[in-house]
Amino acid sequence: MTTQTKPRSDAKIVVERTYKASLQDVWDLWTTKHGFESWWGPQGFRADVHELDARVGGVLRYDMVANTPETIAAMKQMGGTTSHATHARFSALVRHERLVITSVIDFLPGVSPYETDIAVELAAIGNSVRMIVTLDGLHSDEFTKMQKEGFASQLTKLDERFAAG
Amino acid sequence: MDAFQALADPTRRRIVEVLRTGEQQVGDLVQRAGVHQSGVSRHLRILHESGFVTMRPDGQRRLYALRAEPFRDLEEWLAPYRKLWESRLDRFGAALEKKQQARRASEENKKK
Repeated sequence: MTTQTKPRSDAKIVVERTYKASLQDVWDLWTTKHGFESWWGPQGFRADVHELDARVGGVLRYDMVANTPETIAAMKQMGGTTSHATHARFSALVRHERLVITSVIDFLPGVSPYETDIAVELAAIGNSVRMIVTLDGLHSDEFTKMQKEGFASQLTKLDERFAAG
Repeated sequence: MDAFQALADPTRRRIVEVLRTGEQQVGDLVQRAGVHQSGVSRHLRILHESGFVTMRPDGQRRLYALRAEPFRDLEEWLAPYRKLWESRLDRFGAALEKKQQARRASEENKKK
């Protein structure tokens, strides 16, 4: 069985927004410490950026810190700490046009670490900026997870059963 | 087998991709998906049992086609993830707005 760690093109989620803003402002929210911290979540978490080097291959290192009573409680229940160190990098970057942030997902209980991409494309349209964010679909991560965790071998067994039947 | 497991195999994903273009008979699937003749019936059986494909006989031929239901299930499964990102981009918009307001305020101050 071929192991496919990179998700397939059809397993993506695309979210598109248009903001009344300049390219520079939108770009800064992705590529500066202050900008990134001003919005990055998820809900109930804030990001404390330790290192952000907006170049191709540059490191993005931040703590995801629970900052609501609900998320603090949930984090405590999961593992004790209320923040999580996240390691990522800018795997592609063309100023004001495009960037890809590749993050290591290593916090899911029982799931081996895997990488996931967030691709951002920007285009100025009049006084606005259209931003297209493309996310690796979770079901591709699910594929990765299954492959890494030996679900693949279970599948092979199942295949054998079908072949025999 | 659930949808994710059925699609965990790259060969079966290729079969599904080819079936997207419409109903196919086995011979065409073998050719277009680059599947070995020996494995194709096993893969089709798995896809059939997990609800991805239907088969109808047409004389000597067996025609395979996709069903919509499992794709709806996958879509549903992904919906919360999409929602999460929608709200993330709402915050992105709010942060942009704040940034612009701050700049306008400082420009106003310079004028004074």
